[in-house]
Amino acid sequence: MTMTAAVQQKRRRFKIGKRTLPYLLSLPALLVCIGILIPFFTAVFYSLQRYRLSQPWARQMNWGENYLNFITDSGFWNTLNVSLLYAGLTVVLQLLLGLGIALLLQKRTKVNNFISIMLLMPLMTAPALAALMWKLMTNPGFGILSYLLTLVGVDDFRWAASSDTALFTVILVDTWVYTPFIMILLLAGLRSLPKQPFEAAALDNVPRLQQFWRITLPMLTPYILTATLFRLLESIQQFDIIYAMTQGGPGDTLTVFQVEAYLNFFQSTNVGRSAALLMILWAITFFISNIFIKNWLRLRERARGEA
Amino acid sequence: MEHTSTLEKVLRASALTAVVIFFMFPIFWIILMSFQTNETILRVPPSMIFEPTLSNYRGIITGQLETNAATLEINFMRNLWNSVFLSVSSVAVALALGVPAAYAFARHKFRGSEDIAFTLLSFRFAPPLLVLLPLTLYFQQIGLADTYFGLVWVYQLICLPLILWIVRGYFEDISPDIEYAYRIAGHSWFATFRKIALPLAGPGIAAAGLLAFIFAWNNFIFALVLASADKQPVTVGALAFITASGIQYGQIAAGIVLSVAPTLALALYAQRYLVEGLSLGAVKG
Amino acid sequence: MYEKEKDLIDAFLRKQMGRRDLIRGLAALGVTASSASVLLNMGATRALAADFDWKAHSGKSLKLLLNKHPYTDAMIANLDNFKELSGMNIEYDVFPEDVYFDKVTAALSSGSSEYDAFMTGAYMTWTYGPAGWIEDLNEWIGDASKTNPGYNWDDMLDGVRASCAWNGQPGGELGSADAKQWCIPWGYEQNNLAYNADMLNAAGVAVPTNMGELVEAAAALTGDSVYGIGVRGSRSWATIHPGFLSGYANFGEKDLNLNDGKLSAAMNTDVSKAFHSQWVSMIQNSGAKDWATHTWYQVGTDLGAGKSAMIYDADILGYFMNGGDNAMAGKLAYAPFAANPEASAPTPNIWIWSLAMSKYSKDKDATWNFLQWASGPEHGLFGATQMDFVNPVRKSVWADEMFRKRLSDSYPGYVEMHDVSAPGAKIHFTAQPLFFDLTTEWAATLQKMVANEVPVDEGLDQLAESVDRQLKEAGLG
Repeated sequence: MTMTAAVQQKRRRFKIGKRTLPYLLSLPALLVCIGILIPFFTAVFYSLQRYRLSQPWARQMNWGENYLNFITDSGFWNTLNVSLLYAGLTVVLQLLLGLGIALLLQKRTKVNNFISIMLLMPLMTAPALAALMWKLMTNPGFGILSYLLTLVGVDDFRWAASSDTALFTVILVDTWVYTPFIMILLLAGLRSLPKQPFEAAALDNVPRLQQFWRITLPMLTPYILTATLFRLLESIQQFDIIYAMTQGGPGDTLTVFQVEAYLNFFQSTNVGRSAALLMILWAITFFISNIFIKNWLRLRERARGEA
Repeated sequence: MEHTSTLEKVLRASALTAVVIFFMFPIFWIILMSFQTNETILRVPPSMIFEPTLSNYRGIITGQLETNAATLEINFMRNLWNSVFLSVSSVAVALALGVPAAYAFARHKFRGSEDIAFTLLSFRFAPPLLVLLPLTLYFQQIGLADTYFGLVWVYQLICLPLILWIVRGYFEDISPDIEYAYRIAGHSWFATFRKIALPLAGPGIAAAGLLAFIFAWNNFIFALVLASADKQPVTVGALAFITASGIQYGQIAAGIVLSVAPTLALALYAQRYLVEGLSLGAVKG
Repeated sequence: MYEKEKDLIDAFLRKQMGRRDLIRGLAALGVTASSASVLLNMGATRALAADFDWKAHSGKSLKLLLNKHPYTDAMIANLDNFKELSGMNIEYDVFPEDVYFDKVTAALSSGSSEYDAFMTGAYMTWTYGPAGWIEDLNEWIGDASKTNPGYNWDDMLDGVRASCAWNGQPGGELGSADAKQWCIPWGYEQNNLAYNADMLNAAGVAVPTNMGELVEAAAALTGDSVYGIGVRGSRSWATIHPGFLSGYANFGEKDLNLNDGKLSAAMNTDVSKAFHSQWVSMIQNSGAKDWATHTWYQVGTDLGAGKSAMIYDADILGYFMNGGDNAMAGKLAYAPFAANPEASAPTPNIWIWSLAMSKYSKDKDATWNFLQWASGPEHGLFGATQMDFVNPVRKSVWADEMFRKRLSDSYPGYVEMHDVSAPGAKIHFTAQPLFFDLTTEWAATLQKMVANEVPVDEGLDQLAESVDRQLKEAGLG
């Protein structure tokens, strides 16, 4: 065998390998997830059935009837409403708060770094347990927050127990848990901004508020978008906090998608309606995650372009 | 450096103080509660002065709880161990599967690679209940119900997409030139991957792993639906202090502290990676 | 080793000797009262073994799914006796109540064969039975070759036993001749009044005997740090079934009507509207501020901590709060409660913790072996006298002097309350597959009424309309 033949053979092996290798590498991950796809299609199938566990004899395909029923079902519209409202409010609130905190902590000082690490603690708390913590603190008998409110003269604040304040209360807990996520993302963004535009602006005596609107915010936009979409996806699917605090009550105040679907499945054992609800939620998240991923890719492209 | 007025300094300081109080106070309060008996917790008005007791922690660690009616056996330490085991092994599996795949997506633009990558990521955003409920049925049929193996598989739903996407970003940021040079020097593909690509993407892998760990640790619903009592994590275990004969507030608090402590410790220890992980690998400082 | 002691105990079990003589005799032999009870139970176990082949399934292993509850604790405390008696091994999973029923549904709906038997409530069997997840236990109860002669099924309180049997027809009467015994009663709760005697005395308030008096008493007892009446209020079926439905049924009101096999809503009558208004204003004026999140736990804890003066809820909840390290331990008392001034006796709706056999159990005869022991008279007596296995479901346990005395000594009025209200105690709901849908919606409607989001009349009309629609959709109305 000549030298060149050996090299050529090696090259050919390399070539074949090159074509199949990526498939080989991604195959295990793909297989694991395909296992998950089967139950997904089962859920689609359930959503097209009249299917209650307590009436197995009445189980039959009813095609789109579960979905059609939603149109006249005020419970469904309430669910959609509450879910969107909840997601919208939490995201806006957390975005403003997170941006504010990130701006406060922008300068790299020891104290600021320490605080930003401390602020991660709520994010490390499981939402189910965070809800439990806040339940203890808002207990009207011995809860510290209820007590503090009575000190300032508010003695009829009912937190999660009143339909007027239940939404506020769960949003408060959600904000406590997740604002640090937005804060840390925006802080990383702020600190990675190039210095030159700011130095130039300072030389021109541009007021700082204007610097913020004209330079900081536009340059930070990709980060804000990422944070917004990521949080939007999670909060429209909120389950742990709301379920632990009110199970969807009082009244129908907080029957968001996953809570309603969970109750439909486990309490009413109405599998068909539960699956249809989740399919609608899936469609919404699919739509948002599409935007999210495209944006994410663009952000990455830009980050690489600048590097 | 720009000038800051005294007024601004004061405003900034008070704003920061408010922020720190809002985010830290609940944790502080729950720690205080965990050292109190039910009796002192239920006092009105609440007070920070009390005789600290270790009985809540002692009860949890030894598994014997004195409640209103009787002594209960609670296996909270077992829950804690389950959380550790499930989170660690899920992340390990996700890393083993996800890192090579991430490498493939980053280095080789093959047919359908974007679609596959997108599909994988979209799992992260699908409503968990949607797949979970039918999954119970299939797990029963193939004998995976109530096994750690089955649970670790389902946990991939949380861990794998995260790792795949964050690590992929890191690989894409590393110039492939070094790897080509190493390959041309006659080293195998695997050696290149192990000796060059992996170490270079190390921080990204650590960040992704850490983040996946936290999401896995905080999960509540998967094990509850899929496994028996001896495989439940702390998030479910903490509910056991609410008993028919009364709510053991001090023990709930101690349980929360014990179940949050590991993630907090990990986060503080590896906060640099955590911040990168939370930035989804999108941020290059 | 304990020959003399065993002889004494056997003599007692043969009814040749009174309990006091037995204890005295044992004391003479140097046996303390507490070890006497364990010995006695051992003796009871040996007596059981005499006339039935308990060892038929020796060597087999069963697994139970249990809720974290004092009944569970009592059973576990006595489990070694069963293991010895039968030679079987029993494993169990215990889940917190918050998630217990979701766990049961998850296990059964997936056809899991992991658990052979599990704890349930009668309401749940209205789903599990039709779904085909549990066995009709009549098959075993009536089979003399499988059930020990001392089991004495007729010893079960009639209302309780009937409440666990349903023929599966929507609206079918509980305990009818063609009913299937979906589960076996284990321990049960009546809903009556438990009150803080000190608070009532201090305020000079008499124990209320009907709804009007309850509303007034609750208002009189409400102060700065104490509220008058604790009832549940979370968005759940559990808000409807205790005090609320007990009082509602006392006025002769029903949840649903059954006509020609069709169900329809019955909660928007005038009497019902009057009762609802009374109930709603009672909560608004004298209930807990966070009533809408109150479950069993908060209702009980508040009474035990002295934050509420009365509860109209499960009697055993009041029982638990009178012991342990509760601030109000020893200060609580109990009274039967007939909401309707014209009613002759209370009609408490009941909750029954029961045992059911999974359809997917791998060895049903062996499972029955365990079930008949766990629901048998010996374990019932052991649990009721040594542990917190109250309320027992067997007449023989209620007739036991030691049990009655123990209760009366530390729980004033408890035994009388039980005796007075037991004849009217049963499940007052209509058995049908939409039980959880309709009661959850009912609770949500109550929450809206209490929050003044909807007037009572209008709320009930809306509820009835929605109930009728759902019944029609499900092919029941």
